[in-house]
Amino acid sequence: MTIFYALLVGIAMGALIQRVRASSPAMIAQNLRLENLVVIKFMAMTIAVGMILVYLLNLVTPMHFDIKPTYVIGVLVGGLVFGVGFGLGGYCPGTCVVGAGEGRKDALWSIGGGIFGALVFSLVFEALIAPINKLADYGKITLADVLHLPAVGVALGLGAIFLGIIYVLPTVVKKT
Amino acid sequence: MSHPAAPAARNVAEGSAKLPPWAMLGALFGVVSAFSILTWGPIGVSGTYPRFVGAVLRRLDPAFAVGNPYLEKMGSLIKPETFLVLGLLIGGFLASRIGDGRGSRTEFIHTGETTKGKRYRDAFIGGFLIVFGARIAGGCTSGHIISGITQLSISGLIFAAGVFATGIMTAKLLHKGGR
Repeated sequence: MTIFYALLVGIAMGALIQRVRASSPAMIAQNLRLENLVVIKFMAMTIAVGMILVYLLNLVTPMHFDIKPTYVIGVLVGGLVFGVGFGLGGYCPGTCVVGAGEGRKDALWSIGGGIFGALVFSLVFEALIAPINKLADYGKITLADVLHLPAVGVALGLGAIFLGIIYVLPTVVKKT
Repeated sequence: MSHPAAPAARNVAEGSAKLPPWAMLGALFGVVSAFSILTWGPIGVSGTYPRFVGAVLRRLDPAFAVGNPYLEKMGSLIKPETFLVLGLLIGGFLASRIGDGRGSRTEFIHTGETTKGKRYRDAFIGGFLIVFGARIAGGCTSGHIISGITQLSISGLIFAAGVFATGIMTAKLLHKGGR
């Protein structure tokens, strides 16, 4: 049943990503050049609605939360490396799979690069990455833990801030 | 006498229903992401890449695959995430066939990409870096940014800050200096 739900979520997610054109590398490049903020605002909307929903639902039913550990150096370095690849290729690990479904040839090259990246990563993990990821590891912490506030309150507050930012930010900054 | 009120009421209704498409799609994605956490767990994509590599290597060179601590740690491909990734492929296919089919052509995204070869090169190197970076951090756009921040995780916020810092810099530099 879990597998069926995951497949369903994947299909919906793929269709939504395709519809908002987040699987278009040209669209991603425009967003990262801050000429057009459609995908950034789409993501912010997803997060705002998601956080409000999951923490409200959590009041009435147990949720399958899975918080990733905050090993500060590794998470930040990983993000910085990821950003270079994101800016260069215009794909993320999920959108290139959606792009491949659409029939984009460059998406296949991105998936190939990703598989090669995973192979190289598996070879250097023990020697290079594992030691870095032991540094400044604060474990599975959330904003609610840091602020010592109830999670549902933080979710409603941060969700409202995200919605406010979405409302204020322009969608098209520069016509291309 | 009810005439002046009627159009006003309709305007209000239209106004509230008239979210821009990206906002509607984003809200729907938020519902999907919440449904995922309700039914099995947060969405995440990048872990499937090393699990796929592990599955292939276990067939080609079982001794090597078993001796690799990272591939062992990531485990088998029989995981919900694998089916999520399969769903992405199907969802992208269906949505593009029902829609305008814009996806089939290759787009050049920087001034330096003057041939298809250069685009494929950028996509390949970009693909390498996004998965390598995501594996250092333990998640990608979906696992760290979407699901992570949705769950209020500090790691998601740090990862997002890193991604947008170099992402914006790279995209801007490549576009101006590319010619």
